[in-house]
Amino acid sequence: MSEIKDQKKDGADITFFHPDLLEVPADGTAPFLKGYRCQGCGQLDFPKLSLCPRCWGDGFDIVPLSRRGRLYSVTDNYTGQAGMRTPYTFGYVDLPEGLRIFAQMEGKVGSFVCDEEVELVVGPIRDNRDGQPIISYKFKKVKSLSGGAE
Amino acid sequence: MKLHRDVFIAGVGETRFGRHQVDFDVLGRQAALEALRNSNIDRPDVIQSAYVGNGTNGMVTGQTVLKDLGMCGNIPIINVESACSAGGMSVYSAIKDVSTGLTDISLAVGAENHSLHMARGTAFATAMSDIETIHGAVMTGKYAMRAKRYMHETGATAEDLAMITVKNRRHATNNPYAWFKGEISVEEVVNSRPVADPLTLQQCCGIADGGAAVVVCSAEMIKKLGIRNPIRIAGSVVRSGPYHNRPRDITGDDITEQTAEQLYEESGIGPKSVNIVELHDAFTIAELLYYECLGLCNKGDGLKFLRDGESTHGGQCVVSPRGGMLSYGHPIGASGVAQIAASVKQMRGQCEGYQVEPAPRVAMTHITGGGLSGTEHAACTMHMLVREGTC
Repeated sequence: MSEIKDQKKDGADITFFHPDLLEVPADGTAPFLKGYRCQGCGQLDFPKLSLCPRCWGDGFDIVPLSRRGRLYSVTDNYTGQAGMRTPYTFGYVDLPEGLRIFAQMEGKVGSFVCDEEVELVVGPIRDNRDGQPIISYKFKKVKSLSGGAE
Repeated sequence: MKLHRDVFIAGVGETRFGRHQVDFDVLGRQAALEALRNSNIDRPDVIQSAYVGNGTNGMVTGQTVLKDLGMCGNIPIINVESACSAGGMSVYSAIKDVSTGLTDISLAVGAENHSLHMARGTAFATAMSDIETIHGAVMTGKYAMRAKRYMHETGATAEDLAMITVKNRRHATNNPYAWFKGEISVEEVVNSRPVADPLTLQQCCGIADGGAAVVVCSAEMIKKLGIRNPIRIAGSVVRSGPYHNRPRDITGDDITEQTAEQLYEESGIGPKSVNIVELHDAFTIAELLYYECLGLCNKGDGLKFLRDGESTHGGQCVVSPRGGMLSYGHPIGASGVAQIAASVKQMRGQCEGYQVEPAPRVAMTHITGGGLSGTEHAACTMHMLVREGTC
């Protein structure tokens, strides 16, 4: 057991959170979340589940999910998880596909409001054990702080 | 659960809640011994099974609590974990043993010490294997999102939320078991330091240590022990949170609504007949939402229910008469048992200085447990208690 632990400790920690969930195309096109549509019953889920909870199907088609959604609710956290820098903002984003995504928000603390439109971006969500940033999906305002539409 | 025969509470015990320099096992043992003595039990071989709720203090917590009481060796001691619902579930499990006839008398304990083990200035998070946790989720923030949405939809203000703290701290003023108590103004609550917008420090339960215990038994055992003021378990329900990653209304709470509905059906007692409630007021917003989810008032009328004084002394139903978690703090494995212990004392008229008058006949408790992505809560435990006449 201690040997396994030591090996893990010696190995580098992850810097990208889960390729099953987030695709960042090498050709520079926009990143997207991967939805999983059950080949048995057609139910769409995110994140990827080991089985379809509706029919226990284990075959899935990957569906690129919408990059924009509606910020259902949001909060700025001044007391956070141990080891995380505060303040940081997270919220629930509802996608047009009928899925709700929990994610950190990229943008000014205190600037997000319920029901505004947000868009997927890729960025650091926390530091790993080695002090390196872990990259994952986040959302930012569709309208930039300067007011211009992107 | 469907109760197969009548189950009663013989005795209860609770420690003072707050920061303790002694660990969970000492607190659990103190509460257990008090509950046993209050049940007229004076030796270690009466209890036939024991369940011990704990969330974070490690392995074999129950045996650690009960070994000094001479209870290891002859009975099953089963450790129960479901985050904040652990204690409530331990009571449910003890009731199940007695109800099915597996035992005639069982013990439920909840005990937790956070302050000796947890880094100051951090918030509770769920397991790191959870997709929300790695993205920074903490319980304070998840409740803050409920508050934010509730305020967005109803126009409620931070001052409205603060009134919950003001009420519960006032209820606890003379309660020796409560940690934070007495007068506090809406301004002091709102202006305390921000934790997760819009929740401020004084709108969040303290991270506390404590223990509580309940002895449950059959009607025959009540007579045998000579208990003159038995409390009957009219209902005991545990449910797990419906799982899906689709939009849901977080100004409601699907698991609480389902658990309450089952409790009302099984106990034959509706929400308007309940005299006192201890609910999961870990944050101000929670109590406000649960007025509606529990059916104490109609959906959308939570604020009116509070403002009209329906949830305090003299109102329809005194909510959090002990002061709730906002006064006690929340040792997660202990709280579910402490809610029941405090309710039993109210029904027995033993709460000098914070007694609900007249002594309540029907009490209800509600405690959820655990953040898990795709659910509002991983678990919910509720109990309905009824004061019987003198045996």
